[in-house]
Amino acid sequence: MKKKLQNLIPISKPGIKKLLLTMKLTIVIVFLSVLQVSANVYAQVTVNLDVREKSVREVLKSIEQQSQVRFFFSDDLLAMNELIDLKADNKNIISVLDDIFLNSPLTYRAFDNNLIVIAPKQMLQQQKITGTVTDKTSGEAVAGVNVVVQGTTTGAITDANGKYSISVTNNNVNLDFSFIGYEKVTVPINGQSEINVKLVNNSTLLDEVVVVGYGVQMRRDVTGATSTLKADVIASRPITRVDQALQGTTPGVSVNSNSGQPGTMLSVRIRGTNSITGSNDPLYVIDGYIGGNIESISPEDIESIEILKDASATAIYGSRGSNGVVLITTKTGKEGKMRVDFNTWISKASMPKYLDLMNAYDFANTVNAQYAANGQSPAFSDAQLQTIRAGGNGTDWQKAVTRSPLVQNYQLSVSGGTAAVKYLFSGSYLDQPGLLLNQWYNKGSIRANVDVKATDKIDLKFNITALQSKNRNTDYSGDLYDPFTLAFQWDPTTAIKDANGNYNLHSSYGSIQINPVAEANNRMSDNTTDNFTATGMVIYHILKSLTFTSSASYEGQFQYTPQLFGPQTNTGLSGNDHATVNNTRYRSFQNSNFFTYKNTFGDHSITLTALYEQQNRQNINVQAQANKLSSYANGYYNLGLGGTQTISSGYWADALQSYMGRVNYSFKNKYNLTASIRDDGSSHLTKKYSLFPSAALSWNINNESFLQNVKSLSVLKLRLGYGKTGNQAVSPYATIPSIGVGTSYYFNGTTPTVTTPLGTAVTSSLRWETTTQYDAGLDAGFFKDRVTFTVDFYNKKISDLLYDYPAPDYLGGGTYKRNIGSLENKGIEFAIGGTPVAANKLRWNTYLTISFNQNKVVDLGGLDNVQVNGIGSPQTGLSILKVGMPLGEFYGYQFLGTWKTSEATEAAKFGLKPGDAKYTDVNNDHSYTVADQMPIGNGMPKYSFGFTNDVSYGNFTLSFMFQGMHGNQLFSTSFPYTYGGLGDTKNATSVDALNMWTPDHETDFPVIGSTSNKLNSSRYVYDASFVKLKNFSLAYHLPQSLLEKVKISSLEVYVSGQNILCFTKYKGYDPEVTTAQNAITQGLETGSIPNPRTLTVGLKASF
Amino acid sequence: MNTKYYILLTFVVLMFVTGCQKLTEDPKGTLSPGTYFKTQSDLDASVASIYERYAHDYNYGFTTRMTSCFGSDDLTTDPALNKGDMREFDELNGSSTTGSYGQQWTGMWSGIYQANNVIANYQKVNSTDDLKNAAAAQAYFIRAWSYYMLVRTFGPVPLIIVPTDVNARPARDEVSKVYASIVSDLQTAIDLFPASFQITAGRANQWSSKALLADVYLTMAGWPINDASNNALAASEANDVIQSGKYSLVPDYGTVFSTNNSTESIFTFQFNVAGGTAQRGFGLSSVPLEEVAIDAAFGGNGNSGWDDYYPEINFFKNAPKCSRTDATFYTTIKLRNDDKKTFVMVPWNSNLTHAQHPYYKKFRSGLNGDGVTETANTIITMNASTNKALDVIRYPMVLLDYAEASAMATGAPTAAGYAAVNLVRQRAGLPNLTTGLSATAFRDSVVNERAYEFAGENGVRWFDVVRLQLLPKIISQRAGNENPIPAGIAADPSSRYLSPIPQNEMYRNPAWTQNAGY
Repeated sequence: MKKKLQNLIPISKPGIKKLLLTMKLTIVIVFLSVLQVSANVYAQVTVNLDVREKSVREVLKSIEQQSQVRFFFSDDLLAMNELIDLKADNKNIISVLDDIFLNSPLTYRAFDNNLIVIAPKQMLQQQKITGTVTDKTSGEAVAGVNVVVQGTTTGAITDANGKYSISVTNNNVNLDFSFIGYEKVTVPINGQSEINVKLVNNSTLLDEVVVVGYGVQMRRDVTGATSTLKADVIASRPITRVDQALQGTTPGVSVNSNSGQPGTMLSVRIRGTNSITGSNDPLYVIDGYIGGNIESISPEDIESIEILKDASATAIYGSRGSNGVVLITTKTGKEGKMRVDFNTWISKASMPKYLDLMNAYDFANTVNAQYAANGQSPAFSDAQLQTIRAGGNGTDWQKAVTRSPLVQNYQLSVSGGTAAVKYLFSGSYLDQPGLLLNQWYNKGSIRANVDVKATDKIDLKFNITALQSKNRNTDYSGDLYDPFTLAFQWDPTTAIKDANGNYNLHSSYGSIQINPVAEANNRMSDNTTDNFTATGMVIYHILKSLTFTSSASYEGQFQYTPQLFGPQTNTGLSGNDHATVNNTRYRSFQNSNFFTYKNTFGDHSITLTALYEQQNRQNINVQAQANKLSSYANGYYNLGLGGTQTISSGYWADALQSYMGRVNYSFKNKYNLTASIRDDGSSHLTKKYSLFPSAALSWNINNESFLQNVKSLSVLKLRLGYGKTGNQAVSPYATIPSIGVGTSYYFNGTTPTVTTPLGTAVTSSLRWETTTQYDAGLDAGFFKDRVTFTVDFYNKKISDLLYDYPAPDYLGGGTYKRNIGSLENKGIEFAIGGTPVAANKLRWNTYLTISFNQNKVVDLGGLDNVQVNGIGSPQTGLSILKVGMPLGEFYGYQFLGTWKTSEATEAAKFGLKPGDAKYTDVNNDHSYTVADQMPIGNGMPKYSFGFTNDVSYGNFTLSFMFQGMHGNQLFSTSFPYTYGGLGDTKNATSVDALNMWTPDHETDFPVIGSTSNKLNSSRYVYDASFVKLKNFSLAYHLPQSLLEKVKISSLEVYVSGQNILCFTKYKGYDPEVTTAQNAITQGLETGSIPNPRTLTVGLKASF
Repeated sequence: MNTKYYILLTFVVLMFVTGCQKLTEDPKGTLSPGTYFKTQSDLDASVASIYERYAHDYNYGFTTRMTSCFGSDDLTTDPALNKGDMREFDELNGSSTTGSYGQQWTGMWSGIYQANNVIANYQKVNSTDDLKNAAAAQAYFIRAWSYYMLVRTFGPVPLIIVPTDVNARPARDEVSKVYASIVSDLQTAIDLFPASFQITAGRANQWSSKALLADVYLTMAGWPINDASNNALAASEANDVIQSGKYSLVPDYGTVFSTNNSTESIFTFQFNVAGGTAQRGFGLSSVPLEEVAIDAAFGGNGNSGWDDYYPEINFFKNAPKCSRTDATFYTTIKLRNDDKKTFVMVPWNSNLTHAQHPYYKKFRSGLNGDGVTETANTIITMNASTNKALDVIRYPMVLLDYAEASAMATGAPTAAGYAAVNLVRQRAGLPNLTTGLSATAFRDSVVNERAYEFAGENGVRWFDVVRLQLLPKIISQRAGNENPIPAGIAADPSSRYLSPIPQNEMYRNPAWTQNAGY
């Protein structure tokens, strides 16, 4: 640039006139106008002149001779030949020039570098043009619109209120208004000083910018199967966690709240279940940081969520991409004045339903009946029965252990910026008590995102977030000791407290565990997590086409996990009362460096990415336990009070080093190709490096000439992809045999000796689970995307499945990691969206997603099946992994009702009598043995769907979302517990037991007693298909005219409800909850806390 | 380009080329074979690990350790409640899927696994031969004990005596081969124990090894080995122990069950509630469901009984009248009144109790009352977890083994044999055994003596039933209101002397065949 100027400046040199003649002066001036105009340089320049009747041209030449100043003008300007008189005595050059051109049609403009341009006045005059850009449909201001003087680089960008201001020197040019997603508008200036523009939304899906991991792409160029969630969709529901945003909104993504305990993670499954024992959770990448803590993100801080579903999109994440990848981009400030956003909501949560249990009188009668059947005298005398009857319904334990708490959420953010620096600061606080007594979760977080354009070539980004979350008793797993599980098994004839105000800890008739209210109130299982994550990034634009990005992320997490199981808990009453404190320090560091080369050669455009990345993590923990504290007055804060104390500590560290290369190639905006390969080196495996390739093609069919005339078609795109990804289900040190530290042994009963038992056996030849996935998809949009449609077919084969293979007990027992086989997920997913109504004030947007997934175990390393956790109580086993069948298969006896009196002879062959349970006797041996077990149900849905609607009329918006699953079953032990059939229950509590078989009333509810009545059977397998009204909300945006008076730019108030309706045949608390530990046992329910029904009022304001 | 950009670029290029991330694993927080078995304390902790495996619920810590032994007449359980596992075996109708009995398999193997680890590595340690040999000898003893339990409960089992690849699936070895290994292990242990090794009940030693070897030989004389020549070997080993003078009977039978490590304790497993290893076979486990301690408001703890096990009615009724019987059985049930602090006494067969059975008194107390603290007419506190050491081999066993084996070896009871059995009878408060009995009549008397001396203890009675094939006899003596034995099994109980291999283990070993009858 400098060089060009030098060629232009010395006008006195020969040849320059010729050059000037060949150029259009206007272009030169426009070109020069990007230079800084400056008067300061000329403050010291003085002129001595005394001329008469000299042409302007000659006067200027004289000035040039006595100063460093050079003039620049066109020779054909006639006014230059005008004759003037001028006298100047050490006068400043600027005032001299002002005098010269006072009455001339010409004027001047002084630039840096001692260059002064002379041109006709109309050409050099600065004119300021201002205006507002709004959306034609919504009337809302559009921020970030590019306003450019046509044919120049002079431009401005609209601020948050859609306002812009631009200076032009020529009245006869046009202004171009452009913004992604809108049709470009060109307006001639024609001397106007205010130009207001209404933009027409023309965004087709293809114009969207999408984050693809290590870069962004236009949607038109994307080859993989990805889905996007934008901030407005995320913020449209009062959610407490990021993963909730995915629920019901994304095809191929099934999200379930498996537990109603506050603060617990949701189960997010992208395209089915891939790993039988490893994690099936997707990989979360937050602003480029892989494996970030999603708890640290407040939903309002999210700009967009990108869900990468097929392997061609996820393969760039290599050994961690198997379960799909969720890319979360947080908001940054926008150029313009400071903006303040404040959101808050308050919810009332409540139990969605209660089980139908007996009142005290019915219960007592049932106990008596059972005693009579066993030949015992009645438990309750007639007098006692009458007292109970007179005393009302007795204790309703379900209601006694639950409550309807208030949940509160607040979020405040401040954002804004200049062209050089953009910022967003936010803080949020959530207080969420649980449905159960003495159970809560709360969280506070802050975030700062700063983007700096340091120089023309260097952009800097810095994001930091800090979080503190605290919770109590949110870790109930659904076992027999949980107060919630106990509540529906406990005896209604016992009061919560006795006359002295002490808990009635035991009941002769309820579960042998203790009073659920005492357990809930006295148990303390607490956790405080402090987490901070900082990401710094440098983007260096080496050349226009070549960019280098380097980022470093550091995450630190400290967890303080104290627990107290005091005297009045189950643990305490069994003599193991204790307090523990666990401190964990975790840190993770990631460094990513990549070059991006992007260029276009005619019809060919190409983007190349080359990455080097390294990550390491470390976890250190110390745990102390004190048993039998002499006093519990200090809670868990003074372990020194313990009778015995034990201390343990742990350490693990791991590292990953990766190389990745990617090519994106596009021809004529029609044919796109993506190919990538990632080489991941991991410390976990003996053979360190594994390769993960991918390739994908897409074809923008609507850009073909034969479709150009089909105006109704805005998008038609075909995608084909293939890729390999891994699942890091091997934990650190899994290939190294370990010698652990066991419980101390007391050789004389009193003196402890340390024990160091040899751990379970290991195999060293472990590999990652590898997913090979094929995808074919079609995206279509009609009528300028008033209607959109996406369909994807996929086939995933997961090989080298890692399984916690049960070692024979004679080889140490337990389990060891082994790559044992493969499984398959095949599926179709649809998304249909549209705006059926968009008339004046009424607008209706609707979006439906349906996902079908079929899962099948293909191979188990030669075995036909693997029984999971053996057979026993449903809590520990009952699932089977069998070749040819899907995961989540229940295994047990087929329940056929009861043996009737007429079948007494046949029943006797089984050693049973009428009233006992009857099952299918597969091998006809008159005995219910292992051989008679069979698959009796499955916990996986055949399909799941989400249906979202927003109807707005004027300032009102009504939104509702249905979500559902179909074809999934639950094996519930909650019911057998209430039937007195399992666990430690002594007697039935369910009203169903009133319908128990008797000789006079031969029902299919077996009598309590015989062991065979308690077998794991299809009796407890329930259809758990459901449709839930997951969310509805009615929002009112206060009118702009009203708000302007109070200087508020927008204000919305809303009421909403979650889990309001549930259509299901399942009669338990909630068909959505399970206590499954892994993919094989999905669908097991052993007393899980349901998702609360909530009613919310909220407010969103921005200033 | 600006210098600073070159610096940046050079830095990045260097990083690409060198790759600074190390990928080797160093499990700093976990011991691994590469860093272990260097010192005596490594070895001591590994030996302690063998014992520790037996001090848990899943092994010797709870009543479930003898689930498969409920087939004998000294053990029965509730007709309903959550006692299905034990009830099935009480009815001689156990199945391979019954939950807790599988612990009799897993528990023993967990100890063998640790013992094999010690035996394979003890030589590597830098220490004295005496210390190393003593460590290995304890491992051999416990391995032998565990195989002895396994082979008697399950019949043929795979003999794993060296570290074995986890993917191996060996066949079940013949019973005779397993017994040969047990004998060999015990002989090795006897040889390895240094003379200076301290004799305590909490550790195996050469005398406990001999005592166990005597019992093994006696069993090998019966079913299924049926080699009578083992009687002489049994007598010889037992005699060594008797002659050593290391052990003597505690004068008061009841004291044995309320104190730890008495003069007659030869081998015990130790428990410590506070240390996380509770003995829960004592205390609540043998207390009737109807018994409830004084409420907490009045100084008790309000706990109620678990009703896990008690003797069969006719076993109790046939017990000889003596102080031992009084100390063994609990026959007056204390029912708490509605005031939560006073009790009414009812006989065991009162219809105010749902089981209408006598219970065991000797397992109530635990260690000095940490199980049940009571007086004649009140129960103050009751707990499930006790610190009571579990006697696995008591001196009376050696005496009775000797008496029986010496009689069967020589074809007639010996004077020393009579002396041995009479020591036990005298302590029980019984007169001396009738003199002049035939060998088999003498043997039957001794076996009857064992039944009551060891009533309810770890299946001693059950394994006598097995080796002497006594099921038809005890079935015929069973009271009508016990848990019913299915008619087909009662008619031919021959398949019930062995328990089925746990189903999970069958799944893991598809080539195995289940024991006949299951």
